[in-house]
Amino acid sequence: MAYLSMGEAHRRITDYLGRFSDAVSSQDVASLKHLLSLSSNSPSLLSLADALNLFQDANRLIKQSDKYSQFAEIVVPLFRCLQNYKLNNLVDAYHAYEKAANAFIQEFRNWDSAWALEALYVIAYEIRVLAERADRELSANGKSPEKLKAAGSYLMKVFGVLAGKGPKRVGALYVTCQLFKIYFKLGTVHLCRSVIRSIETARIFDFEEFPQRDKVTYMYYTGRLEVYNENFTAADQKLSYALAHCNPRSEENIRMILKYLIPVKLSIGILPQDWLLEKYNLVEYRNIVQALKRGDLQLLRSALEEHEDRFLRSGVYLVLEKLELQVYQRLLKKIYIIQKQKDPSKAHQMKLEVIIKALKWLEIDMDLDEVECIVAILIHKNLVKGYFAHKSKVVVLSKQDPFPKLTGKPVNA
Amino acid sequence: MERRQKNQQQQNPRRNPLSSSSSSSSSHSSNRKSRYRPPNRASGDARARHREDSGLDSGDATTWDEPRSLARSIDERASAAGTRSSMGIREQQEQHQHHQDGENARDSREFASAVGTCPYMCPGMGEMAQRERLRDLAVFERLHGNPAKTSPELAVKKFCRTISTRHVQLSDIRPLSVLGSTLDYLMNLMNSTPEPFETVHDFIFDRTRSIRQDLSMQDILDKRAIHMYEKMVNFHVISHHKLRLSSSGPNSFNISSLHHLNMEQLAKVLTSLYNLYDLNRDHNSMHKNEPEYRSLYVLLCLNSESLPEGERLSLWFRRVPTPVIKSKEMTFARRILRYFRTDNYKCFFSTIAAEASYLQYCALEPYIDKVRALAVLLINNGGYKLHPYPIAHLSNLLMMEESEVESFCIACGLETSLDEQGNKVLPTKQPAFNHPKAGHGKYGFSGFENICRTL
Repeated sequence: MAYLSMGEAHRRITDYLGRFSDAVSSQDVASLKHLLSLSSNSPSLLSLADALNLFQDANRLIKQSDKYSQFAEIVVPLFRCLQNYKLNNLVDAYHAYEKAANAFIQEFRNWDSAWALEALYVIAYEIRVLAERADRELSANGKSPEKLKAAGSYLMKVFGVLAGKGPKRVGALYVTCQLFKIYFKLGTVHLCRSVIRSIETARIFDFEEFPQRDKVTYMYYTGRLEVYNENFTAADQKLSYALAHCNPRSEENIRMILKYLIPVKLSIGILPQDWLLEKYNLVEYRNIVQALKRGDLQLLRSALEEHEDRFLRSGVYLVLEKLELQVYQRLLKKIYIIQKQKDPSKAHQMKLEVIIKALKWLEIDMDLDEVECIVAILIHKNLVKGYFAHKSKVVVLSKQDPFPKLTGKPVNA
Repeated sequence: MERRQKNQQQQNPRRNPLSSSSSSSSSHSSNRKSRYRPPNRASGDARARHREDSGLDSGDATTWDEPRSLARSIDERASAAGTRSSMGIREQQEQHQHHQDGENARDSREFASAVGTCPYMCPGMGEMAQRERLRDLAVFERLHGNPAKTSPELAVKKFCRTISTRHVQLSDIRPLSVLGSTLDYLMNLMNSTPEPFETVHDFIFDRTRSIRQDLSMQDILDKRAIHMYEKMVNFHVISHHKLRLSSSGPNSFNISSLHHLNMEQLAKVLTSLYNLYDLNRDHNSMHKNEPEYRSLYVLLCLNSESLPEGERLSLWFRRVPTPVIKSKEMTFARRILRYFRTDNYKCFFSTIAAEASYLQYCALEPYIDKVRALAVLLINNGGYKLHPYPIAHLSNLLMMEESEVESFCIACGLETSLDEQGNKVLPTKQPAFNHPKAGHGKYGFSGFENICRTL
């Protein structure tokens, strides 16, 4: 580390203080937000931290001048945060940042216009990210990780400040998205409900007014919630919106959206093309798509098993499992087509024994009872039109459209 | 909470970063005896973070396998209950209740690591005498049936909701060994008393709650607590089954509310048990019984759609440790879930008969008649009109006695008849199917004796 003199340290500190107060007084949010962006690890902030750790008496400097002391409530804890951050005391850094953030919000409230909104975004982001790191530190030391939860509470407060009639309200969606990330990470997803309700039903909000980027993120998270709740039509709508409005160059984001959209589309009978899976590195879905195309139940099962952990962690496993009914439909349709080629007049009658044989060929053992059961299910869900004759162990298919397509609607319950 | 922050400051005083020899990594380790320190964790990571929010996050749950040493604070458990696993019924209300169960979280810090000294199942001085005076004795606590007299062998400490720990003496709290024998006494009572089950259930419900209260006041969070919580889960799961059996006649409304309260309590106890498993986890291992007790949650919540939004099974599975997922018991539960969700009645019943343990059976029992109704619906719907379905065959499929199949079909609004050979059959394509009303009848399960052998 280069030698740092007291004089230089003093200069760096007063320099920052000057920039801070100038930014506020001239409402220069572009400058202000850089001064708050801890995790950017910008050289100027890091060198300021070194200066603070050396100088040790920045508070005196702050209080010395009226120009700076008006921001003491914000800057004093912010400095403390920087010092701790540089020394890797993340828990202390978080505490200090939260204090600074609270003071900032108080000031923000008093500013009439929404000029400082982007600075507030930075603070909201930093609070979350710092809390995550603080929690990692706590866990590593055998303590309970609770800072992310605290960050959630802080952000709810911020949401409350923004949820008013003035121009600041367009910031509410960004804060909502930060809250979503927190709740999803903590697993307390049910807490999303109340913010969603505020955004979607409060009269002060007009969804179209919000920035595009925030709308995409919002639809992504609410779309995911619909997937977990298995409301496929709503999930399709929201995730498709996110996909359509997402920046086409941010491949990573597109990939995230597709990861959830694909299972939804599969459930309503729409298959993605292979180039899509290839391009966005979603090859875990490849065999599942194949299984649906071929009616290959074994392939579906092995694909689910191969990526079991991944699918469980993202929460789409149960959705994919249910695709087996569509796979059965495809298998029966193939048998039907083969029978039609051999003898069109008898094609609509399918012996259960033949189905058993086809399954055996796929290395799956099923007895008569189970096959009959599957047929009964397919008929009930309108994946097959016809009936089964128990005594003759035969499925009799309808002469017209015996295998109705899903046409974009989920398999009916 | 202020107390928590203050405590942290006591243990981690703001140090002058340049003073003496303290380096950054030792600032947290000095008064903490952490059992496990993963390499490079506390040194933080120096990678530059994205300047801007990348927008979306990958959506995968954080890996669960961060080892944690035994927790000492009740605050931790209280917050862990909120964040670690979410449970079916009104999670926030439950969390509040959990606070109450563990008593005033801040006050009970005073009892951290304290050991109770009450040698009896019920504190002798205060409670026992007072309840004798007030004639507030359960039927099991009465000496020779006398409603005003009890004894140390019979009285069991009651659950007290509004207790303030400031007034509680150590002599009112039962130490672990006494709690263990109290619990055993209660479990034996469940199986040996001639009293109607609702009465026993009520008593044990309350007294086990008090046991949990004593456990949490003494901060007992280790494997011994796990052992006791497992037994208490057993009680609630078995009640889940037995209360259904007794729910008929004039008492049935009362029973169904007992059933509902039991389910709520079961949810809480299971959540606490899962937290204990997490707290006591060493590296990638799992507790011996953890797979079975985790599988119970799946079986209790088969009909995930009935759970509040945000608490569906898809979310719950994200946080289940991998060894548990791969276990025999969890694999069974997941297959049952798949059969339930795809209406596969054939495999649903045959798998239960072949593989369910007694506890697992009790947990999923309420769904059995639902799937039976579904099977009858599907067969009636898809079966050829000229091939009425043999009742004998149906009884094999649905694991029911033939006579019960008949009355079940009738409860579904369907008629049965006889074929030319005199066998009972169910004609199909009958127009008037309805789902049987809840609590309409008690049907058995053909494989039940077999399942009971796993007890």
